[in-house]
Formats: sequence, C-alpha cells, structure tokens
Amino acid sequence: MKRFFIATLLLAGGSAHASTPEQRGFQVFRQICSSCHSLNYVTYSDLTGLGVSVPDIKSYASQHQVPDGLDEDGDPKTRPAHPSDHIGSPYPSESMARMANHGGLPPDFSRLALTQEGGPQRIIHILKSYTAPPAGTKLPLGAFYNTAMPHLHIAMPQPLHDGQVKYADGTTATIPQMANDVTAFLNWTARPHLKARHQTGIFVLAYLAGLAVLLGILKRRVWKRLKSPE
Amino acid sequence: MTERSNSLSEWLEARLPVISAFRREYVDFAMPRNLNYLWNFGAFATIALGLLILSGIFLALNYTPTVTEAFASIEMIDRQVSSGWLVRAIHMGGVSMLFASLYVHIGRGLYYGSYKAPRELLWLTGLGLLLLVMTTAFAGYILPWGQMSYWGATVVINALNSLPVIGKPLAAWLLGGEGLGNTALHRIYVLHFVTAFSIVGFVVLHVAALHVAGSNNPTGIEPAKPDDTVPFHPYYTTKDGLGLCLFLMVYAGLIFFAPDILTLADNYAQANPLVTPRDITPEWYFAPFYAILRAVPSKLGGLLLAAGSLGVLFAVPWLDASPVRSARYRPILRIALPILFLAFIALGAAGMHPPTGFWLWISRIAVTYWYLYFLILLPYLPRVEIPKPLPSSLQEPRG
Amino acid sequence: MTQDGAPTSSSTQCSSGKGGTRRRDVLATVTAGVGCAGACALAYPFLDSLNGTRNSRVGEDDTVDVDLSAIPPGQQTVVTWRGWPVFVQRRTAAMLASLQAPGAAQRLRDPESKILQQPKDATNWHRSVVPEIGVLIGICTHLGCVPSYDTPSPADQSGKYACPCHGSQFDIAGRAYKNAPAPYNLPVPPVTMVSETHLRIGLSKGDPDFDIANIQQI
Repeated sequence: MKRFFIATLLLAGGSAHASTPEQRGFQVFRQICSSCHSLNYVTYSDLTGLGVSVPDIKSYASQHQVPDGLDEDGDPKTRPAHPSDHIGSPYPSESMARMANHGGLPPDFSRLALTQEGGPQRIIHILKSYTAPPAGTKLPLGAFYNTAMPHLHIAMPQPLHDGQVKYADGTTATIPQMANDVTAFLNWTARPHLKARHQTGIFVLAYLAGLAVLLGILKRRVWKRLKSPE
Repeated sequence: MTERSNSLSEWLEARLPVISAFRREYVDFAMPRNLNYLWNFGAFATIALGLLILSGIFLALNYTPTVTEAFASIEMIDRQVSSGWLVRAIHMGGVSMLFASLYVHIGRGLYYGSYKAPRELLWLTGLGLLLLVMTTAFAGYILPWGQMSYWGATVVINALNSLPVIGKPLAAWLLGGEGLGNTALHRIYVLHFVTAFSIVGFVVLHVAALHVAGSNNPTGIEPAKPDDTVPFHPYYTTKDGLGLCLFLMVYAGLIFFAPDILTLADNYAQANPLVTPRDITPEWYFAPFYAILRAVPSKLGGLLLAAGSLGVLFAVPWLDASPVRSARYRPILRIALPILFLAFIALGAAGMHPPTGFWLWISRIAVTYWYLYFLILLPYLPRVEIPKPLPSSLQEPRG
Repeated sequence: MTQDGAPTSSSTQCSSGKGGTRRRDVLATVTAGVGCAGACALAYPFLDSLNGTRNSRVGEDDTVDVDLSAIPPGQQTVVTWRGWPVFVQRRTAAMLASLQAPGAAQRLRDPESKILQQPKDATNWHRSVVPEIGVLIGICTHLGCVPSYDTPSPADQSGKYACPCHGSQFDIAGRAYKNAPAPYNLPVPPVTMVSETHLRIGLSKGDPDFDIANIQQI
C-alpha cells in the first residue's frame, strides 16, 4: 500500500509526457498490476524501449529491493534495485505469492501476451468482463465473477476501476481505456523489439527486391545468349 | 597486378590446386541447360544452413546450458543482447526455411527420378543429411528449456526408451543416469553442435557425389551433345542468385513480419516438470512423422511406422523398378506422386491437430498411402504403366 | 550469401557481341557490389550481438561507498568497482613524507602525473582527493596483474606496491618506478569524499566529466 502511494505521488508530480498506449499501460502496471504480477525477464532499463526516461527508470528501480547476498552474520541482505536488474516479482518466493493469492500463482507478465490463448484481445476481454454476479450465484472460495471465463469465475479480483489511475497525459482512466493500455504494455513486454523488427524488415525486403530486379535483368541477358541462334 | 598475382596463383596452384578445382567445379562445371527453378532448392538449403550455423555460433556465445539459466539466457538474448532478437530470429526462421527447402528438394528428386542410377549415393547422402538435420533441429529445440522443449524432449526420450535392445542404453546415455535435467541439457547442447557440424561434412559428401554424376534434369535424359549443357557460371549463378533473392525475401518476411506463426507460444513459458501443456504439438517440420506416431494404437508400432516412413526412402533407388527417370513420361506416377505429396501435407496438418476423429482418419489414410506408394506402386507400377516416348534430347520442347 | 555476390567475375563465355557485353559487365559489377554490400550488412547483427547486454544497460549507477573508519593507518582495504580491485589506503605521515622526499621523483617515470591516469582533482603530488586517503585501481599497467601491497615497516616506512608477475614497482601513490616494465602510473578512479569517514568511488565531484574509459591505460 505504501509503495502504491509513493508511486502515485511520484507519477502525479513526475513526467507529463506519457502518451503512447504502452507508456500509459506501464503506468497501470506500475500502480496496479505490479502489486501481484511479476515481470521476471524484463529489466528496468528495458523500459527505455517504451520511451521511459533514464531518471524515471532509476527512481522506479530504486524503490524496489533486490537480494544482495549475505551480510556479515550470514543473513540475507537486500539493496535498492539497479536499472540492470530484472523487475521481478513483488513476492519474495513462489510459495509466498501463492499464499497471498488463495493458492493461485499470478502469471508472469514477460510473455503473457504470447502465451495467453487468444492473445492481447483475450486479455482485454477478460479485463472488461467483470460484472456483479447475478443473484444466487455461488462462487468458489477466492473466485470472482467474470463473464469471459468458461466457468464464469476467475481467481483474480477485479483489478481495474474507473479513475483508479491518474494518467500523466490527462487521458481519462476508464476501465476499457486502462484495459487497452495495459494490454498494449503487455504486448510490448511479449514482443519487445517489434518496432525495430518491422523497420529492419522493410529495409531488408526493399534491398532484396532491388537485388532481385538486378539479378533478374542479369539472368535474362545471360540466358538470352543461349536462345538466339548462333 | 598481373605478373605478381599470376606467380602467386601459380605458386599456390602447384602446391594446392584450389583455384583450378574451384574453376572446374563451380565456374566451368557443365550443367544441363534445361533445369527449372525446382533445382534452386539445394542452393536455398545451403544458404539456410550457412545462416543457421553462423547465427548458432553467435547465439551460443550468450547461451547458458543449465536448467536454471537456459530459459533466462534465451530471454536475455531476445530482450537485452544487442541485436540478439535478430540473431535468434535468423536462427529460428532458418530452421523452417531449411526444412522447407529440403522437403521441396527431396520431392523434386522423387518427381524427376534423381535417385536412380548412377545417383543412388547422392540420394543416400541426401537422406543422411535429412536425418542429421532432424536430429540437430530436435536437439536445438530443447535448448531454450521452454515448456515445449521440455515436454517434446520427454516424449521423444520415452519413445527412444521403448525401442527394443538399443532404446534403453541410448536414452540412458543421453540422460546421464538421471531425469531430464542439467546433465541431459548439457549433452543435448553438445549434440546440437556435433550434429550441426557433421551436417557440413555431409554436405561436402553430397556435393562431391553430385559433381561425379552431374545434375539430373527435368527430362531425366543424360546430356549427350555439348550444347545440352551450359557452364555453371554465369548461367546458374544468375539463376540461383535470382531464386535466392526470392527465397531470402520469404525468409525475411517470416522473421520480420510473422515471427510468431512458426513457433509455439508455449515455448515462451519456462519448462515446468509438473505441468504438461494442454496440446503438445511438434514444430511443423516434425508434424508429419508425429502424426504417423499417433495414427497407430501401439507404442512400438507407431514408432516403427514413423521411423519406417523415413527408412523406406533409403530403399527408393532399389524399389523403383521403372527405367524411366522423370515422372514427366510416366502417366500414372505423374498422378500418384502428387498424391503422395498431398498425403505428406495432410500428415503435417494432422500432426498439428488433436488425434481424434477426422484428423486421426486423415493421418491413417495418408500413412497407408505413403507405404502403398513406396512398397507397391514403385516396384509394381512399371508392369502396368506404359511410359510416354522419351524425347531424343533433353533440349526437345515439351510436348 | 556468397551466392549473392557470386555472379561477379567476367563471363567465361566468349563475348557474344557488340554493345551487349559491356552493358552486362556493368550490370554484373553493380549486382555483385550490391550483393556484397548486403553480405556485409548481414555481418552487423552478428558482430553487434558480441556487445552482449552492454547497450541495453542504461542509467547504471555504479558507485561504491567505502567506510574509512575501518582502515587503520598504514593499511589498505580492497573493494571492487566495475569488477576491478580498488585499493583504499589510509596513509601515515611517514608515507606522505616519502612521496615528497627529495630525490624520489628521479626514480619515477611520471612523478607529476602528467599522463591521464587520474581525474583532475587527483592530479597532484599525492594523487588523491585528500592526502591521507589514497584510492587506486589495483591493476598493473604492464600486463594487468594485481600488485601486492608492501605495508610500511620500521625499515621502510614509505610502503609500496610490487607486481608479482614481472616485478613492476609503484610508490604508495601508484606512481610507476623506472627500471621496471610498467609504463604508466596506476589508474585513480573518480572519488568523492562524502564525509570525513566515507568516500564514494565512481563519482568525482572535482572532475565531473572524468570518464575512466578515457584514461591512457587500465
């Protein structure tokens, strides 16, 4: 709770240039999702790929503690995270994470948009499908009503509420808005170099097409010698 | 320039005649003049192999072959290593491009009878290459230690275990006396390298065999007159070059714009020995053989039938009783063989779907046809099939 | 890839005539050039991947704080900074005197620290921010071994560093002696005194633009 509060304060006073859906989604992750979900393979400095500034990354990292070997008494030590550390899990261990979540393990976010069946669209759909259960619905312990799920319940309590996040760029934080934004962020964590991939691809294809044209002309000229009678 | 470089090349030539050998085998080498674009796929496979080896070496520099670190090191390559995502994409896309080229290459060999005398060894070394490529691909797929890696390896090692006599010791040697863990991963990593470089050796053999017999051609008639052939350069360098450009465009389209379609998303989750993913499906290039494995309701039977479907290819030069090489002049084979290709594709599709109902029957029909083709049609069809008259020269226009 | 560049050399066929050959040769050269350029471009991602994760590590805050109260006079403690061993010494009056002793400079290769091996605020006779505290990167400038510290003894109160590998010698301020192989003084990292008893390695208040990567040799 305390961390949540500090983060909100920092963001409220901080940069006002969060504008892409991914950046807003990162804000949602940072303030809401990251209290349960891990990002085990993404480092703080990876966030530069979203356009997050280096000072912001440093301050974000330094709010988290990471294990740092043993102290002189042999007890585990921690230190503030460096930008090169993985963002990791809010829980110190998997069993702690399960204990805090009725035995379920909140899935890691690193590749969720890839591994989740149905992909990003499905994630948006789940996030938007929380409603009040119809009268008389009996839900299992630790389950929440969600119309997107096959059995109409999910282990995750409704994460998003209207106005829960105060977007730095002034966008109104409705549930659909936040669902779209956070999914854009998840899509980025799952496909981190997508933009560079597409840009490089266009270059490479254009180059190969050019080379193919050259070789095509060359090949025709070479082979024409055979067809013409000598 | 001339005098010194001449004396240098003479000096080299007298000691190691590489320049004249290169000229003989790759510049002046006589090629039938009527090869179509299907003859490009060997060059495609070579290029894909080259890119795989190159990218593989650079991936290996950042990869850690331990159970705890393997998955994280792959994630690091994909996320944090400079251009690591691109090197890995080249490697991952390369496998599919290599298999696709090989399958077309083999299909072309079947269609134009390129396995017939005097090219039997060319065919056999090629099949040896296919087996090595498959082993390498399988070993490589385990290395990221994702869910599909782990469970694919589990399934294959258990299948290996069920082989009579050799199965148990082979599996035990691979695993090093424990379950699928650090020891096995390390061995599989080394296996991946050893087989990868053996492939290069086999390619040399394959090409050497090719250069003894020379290329087959769409008519299946050996070149007779001098003008039936053209020198490799510049005719086939330009033709292969053009084909390669188009091949590389497909390759690039795949790795830059559709990297997800050829990989299974489940492999982006770290291996978990306690949870098997819901649908384990192999990579597409193994799917046909996987479908055969599942088409038979017997463990050993499925295994033998799957292995036999490849094994039977080795016997093709001796199974095919027809003296006519090219299917162009064999009216029945010309229909029977494309059906075999369809059966192979159907098996592939069946291998990617759950083995129930429709897909199970598709795979059973297809595998039956597969064996029917090789064991019945190839040896006995020539008794009833009347071949079309062969042209007198490979240059004669198709009629 | 080489295949791209393969249709390069001039035709082995005798030219079939007139203007066509010349034009094709130009075209062949251009095609070969473009193909080779592509092959070279292909090398980029492979070579770039050799940089490892270096380029993705931004904003790394690599400072190390050292508590000086634990170091007795005449002794040193070793900490690691960027993976290098860093010697932090507390110098005695006798050690400081030895640095300024008459005739000492003649035996040194670079007594004035003219070669860039230290930040500006350590370019002085004691090669440190404050005379009593010396900070040196413990990597011999000859071939990279870690010199060992000879603590001051009653016989020799100045103390010195001696490299076990090839006998290079440095005075207590890390200045290389003549007649030994090490060509440069030991590097001094950027240092800031946070308080009387704490210093921070990795940041130089007196020379904020100092970058350890720019020094003569590490």
